[in-house]
Amino acid sequence: MNVYTPILILGILAFGFAAFSVLTASLTGPKRYNRAKVDAYECGIDPTPQPEGGGRFPVKYYLTAMLFIVFDIEIVFLYPWAVAFDRLAFFGFCEMVVFIITVLVVYAYVWRRRGLEWD
Amino acid sequence: MNPIMASAPALFTIRSVDYRAISPVLIILAVALVSVFVEAFVGRSARRPVQLVLVFGAFLATFIDLITLHATRLVTAAGSVAVDGPALVMQGAIILLAALAAMLMAERMVDPSGDPFAARASSLPGSVDEAEFSARGYFQTEVWPLLLFSVAGMMLFVSANDLLLMFVALEVMSLPIYLMAGMARRRRLLSQEASLKYFLLGAFASAFFLYGMALTFGFAGSVNLGSIADAVSAKPSQSGLLLLAVAMLSIGLLFKVAAVPFHQWTPDAYQGAPTAVTALMATTVKIAAFGALMRVLYVAFGGIRWDWTPMLWIVAILTMVVGSVIAVTQSDIKRMLAYSSVAQAGFILVGVIAVSGKGLASVLFYVIAYGFATIGAFAVVSVVRDASGEATHLSKWAGLGKKSPVTGAVLSLLMLSFAGIPLTSGFIGKFAVFSAAIANGATWLVIVAVIASVVSAFFYARVIVLMFFSEPTEATASVVVPSAFTTIVIAAGATVTVVVGIAPQPLLDLVNNAGLFLR
Amino acid sequence: MTSNQFGLFGTDPWWLVLLKVLAIFVILVLLTLFTIWWERRVVSRMQNRIGPNRVGPQGLLQSLMDGIKLALKEEVIPRTAHLAVYWIAPVISATMAFLAFAVIPFGPTVSIFGVKTPLQLTDFPVSVLYVLAIASIGIYGIVLAGWSSGSPYPLLGGLRSSAQVISYEIAMGLSFVAVFLYAGSMSTSEIVAAQQPVWFAVILLPSFLIYVTSMVGETNRAPFDLPEAEGELVGGFHTEYSSLKFALFFLAEYINMVTVSALATTLFLGGWRAPWPLSVWASANSGWWPMLWWLVKVQLFIFFFIWLRGTLPRLRYDQFMKLGWKLLIPISIVWIVIVAGARTLRDQSATSSSRDTLFIAAGVILLAAVLSLVASSRADKRKTQADEARATVAEYQVDAGGFPVPPLPGQQAVLTSRRDSAVGTTIIQQRIDNQENADG
Repeated sequence: MNVYTPILILGILAFGFAAFSVLTASLTGPKRYNRAKVDAYECGIDPTPQPEGGGRFPVKYYLTAMLFIVFDIEIVFLYPWAVAFDRLAFFGFCEMVVFIITVLVVYAYVWRRRGLEWD
Repeated sequence: MNPIMASAPALFTIRSVDYRAISPVLIILAVALVSVFVEAFVGRSARRPVQLVLVFGAFLATFIDLITLHATRLVTAAGSVAVDGPALVMQGAIILLAALAAMLMAERMVDPSGDPFAARASSLPGSVDEAEFSARGYFQTEVWPLLLFSVAGMMLFVSANDLLLMFVALEVMSLPIYLMAGMARRRRLLSQEASLKYFLLGAFASAFFLYGMALTFGFAGSVNLGSIADAVSAKPSQSGLLLLAVAMLSIGLLFKVAAVPFHQWTPDAYQGAPTAVTALMATTVKIAAFGALMRVLYVAFGGIRWDWTPMLWIVAILTMVVGSVIAVTQSDIKRMLAYSSVAQAGFILVGVIAVSGKGLASVLFYVIAYGFATIGAFAVVSVVRDASGEATHLSKWAGLGKKSPVTGAVLSLLMLSFAGIPLTSGFIGKFAVFSAAIANGATWLVIVAVIASVVSAFFYARVIVLMFFSEPTEATASVVVPSAFTTIVIAAGATVTVVVGIAPQPLLDLVNNAGLFLR
Repeated sequence: MTSNQFGLFGTDPWWLVLLKVLAIFVILVLLTLFTIWWERRVVSRMQNRIGPNRVGPQGLLQSLMDGIKLALKEEVIPRTAHLAVYWIAPVISATMAFLAFAVIPFGPTVSIFGVKTPLQLTDFPVSVLYVLAIASIGIYGIVLAGWSSGSPYPLLGGLRSSAQVISYEIAMGLSFVAVFLYAGSMSTSEIVAAQQPVWFAVILLPSFLIYVTSMVGETNRAPFDLPEAEGELVGGFHTEYSSLKFALFFLAEYINMVTVSALATTLFLGGWRAPWPLSVWASANSGWWPMLWWLVKVQLFIFFFIWLRGTLPRLRYDQFMKLGWKLLIPISIVWIVIVAGARTLRDQSATSSSRDTLFIAAGVILLAAVLSLVASSRADKRKTQADEARATVAEYQVDAGGFPVPPLPGQQAVLTSRRDSAVGTTIIQQRIDNQENADG
């Protein structure tokens, strides 16, 4: 059996369990309709009017997402390097230090430009 | 025992990298990093001078480095970088033209509000923020590191001997330019539109390139151009996969050289982008793209040239005809120059189709001569202004030659060079390209090219006529006296055009001695 | 570590795979039920309460009963919800929570019905990467739940949660690098085997501390439970969920807690291997005993989670992000360079000239890191001072916008007589009057 097949089986079981729970819950529970109940929850006051199409998110989140990608890619490069570290020896170390320094320069830039601030 | 869990043998062999040979790119990249650091840690008022010193210092150092390397002919970094004659010549041309474009970017006398770039590229056009940033005299110094990264990408692009590295270089070259195109200080919406269009279509073209790369890898089992060439000659039988791969790769690269039908971004991007950035796009990017196109086609797919030349024939004819004809109808000088650059790309493609050492040399000559003329033309465009900024509409150019004879004369000279009139660099370039094509039997193509250049001469001449043979009106723009930066650019453009036109031999020797692509 | 052991992965007969899958499933569900009860009891003790003690011995069946009760509750789906996504979100969360456990080693090779097999569902060369990938897919459940509810609190909670998880995932990912460097592998069983003489938590202490911090952030647990900060966001992303859909999110959260604990055990605490005094006993590392050591280690981490929740107040969002981005990430990177440098130094192949280069490089990085930290903290201080200066100038209004508000930092609450302080009430009274007038 392939090493990945057990994951598939576990996935089927977990998905089946989750889907089963979600489906049965709508059968087992009572249903008592009340208009106020199906309103968006907002502490009893009228819901804030939502703009068409969901409106715009604060740009902060996009910034975080982009920074995440930068560092995630750095990690993607670091992992194989770490695993093969002993075989890459000194050359690999130097190359990785150069790479880390380039990322650190960008990191310093973002930091100084307040890209990491949350107000 | 499970094979994938087995402790792997040495998967990596450490290749030696000839750092000396690739030092020009390394210098630019290192200075670009320092430049980012400057952005982060140097105070706002000191940033501009520090950046200028860094940028021009880097260009100077790299150029000197290239001169000392001029005799280098080798392939390094596991066969992924070819430091050969054509690459070095193009790198030198890119450095010179990028330095001139940088001077246009540094110009602060022309625009009354100072910088040619937006105070804060991130502020919404027309917003309160924008007004406040402008009032405080902010300007964006991030263009300098962006410029350096882009130039490093271009230099790597022309010497990449590996499709993967070529793709990385393509992106490093393009992404900063997409950004810079959207940073104009005036007509910001137009500028942002240009940036977005360029970016979207550029991303589309990159996808084509990637797909072509994948197909090539499927055919050859390697992304190294030399190995691909071996695979192509080892399996000479027709392969649909291979042809599709060549087509996809060419589409990706033809997009960058703005050949028809992949030219749609050109007019909008040229018109909307800040003129200094347009100058960069029209000159250095074109050189880099032609360098990469020829390297891919000549080195990797030289063995099946009879399969891809017909495709290039069609593209070249379309490019020349469409570019020339549409340019005739333009009423905006930047759009006209954009279509003119499309038509010129067609003429250069005629040289590419020659697939010979002579063709390669003629293309090198052409792109360099064209680059200097173009950067001069855009520099002239940037100083012709009225109250609303640059006066790009042709109606505002009526009688300009009478109002400012020197400017008019310089632009006329450059236009004559574009049209290929003798005693200008454009003539020698066209002559070299056409004779290389005829030597290779592409006579019919050259006939089309000659007809197209007659058509193109019409719209170039129209600008001259407009400037000198009509009376200045109320609406005629005036020529702003620029600082030394733009003056140097205009002078350099005009001088190179005349000198190369009259005494082309040194430049011809340079490109002829560059030799062929290594593999 | 013998190569034989790895050969056993992927050789299990189908019934054994089914058995293992079922066992993992049952263990996770039971651990979740237990952990919920355990958490409630421990937190209660910490708060001088008793906690659930009615259902079953010591209240052990309380969580099971809660689950059954949830199944019998009405499901309220908001009118504004995007139905398909709203339904699938909890399923994604729960499924991915289970999946991450596939590569956690519980013990050494044992014999089950005559078949020799490792106590681990499966393993492959990139299994830690697999855990990270699955955890990232799990975030989709949270983001989609927040978005599909069509309501502001869940949306904000979902966004916050995703921003938080991705921020801490970087620190978490970086903390693994040193482990891989020492283990020379990303396979969980090999990493356990590589900790034979000494645990990685000892030799890679900074990595361990960074991981422990970021695992709390990653699971949205106190003191980093900002996505469900009751005071600000009601319930966060699951505000609009009820009945078993809510229970699935709850389940996923607790399974994730167990997963990150198990990962910590595997990567840093020697996995299922017996701790020192016990390891003297020869058979402590064979047979079924290691599962007990594994369980004890995981429970230690879970107790740590509970302890944190009982002790620490919740962080403010900006403080939380600052900790992740400005402290954990730079420290991780510098630490990686130090570890790699030290290892290179240890290698005999490193010549003296290359050693010098190494020291210079490390020095440059350290210097840069320190400088940027200093510069930033100075800038922060300047900014805070400027803010405070501005705030002191700004007058403190008790009734800003018609509502009584507390003073901001730097503002002085003005002591007033009782008559003056009644002004706030009067203003609210006036507002109500105005509204009534407008309505009338």
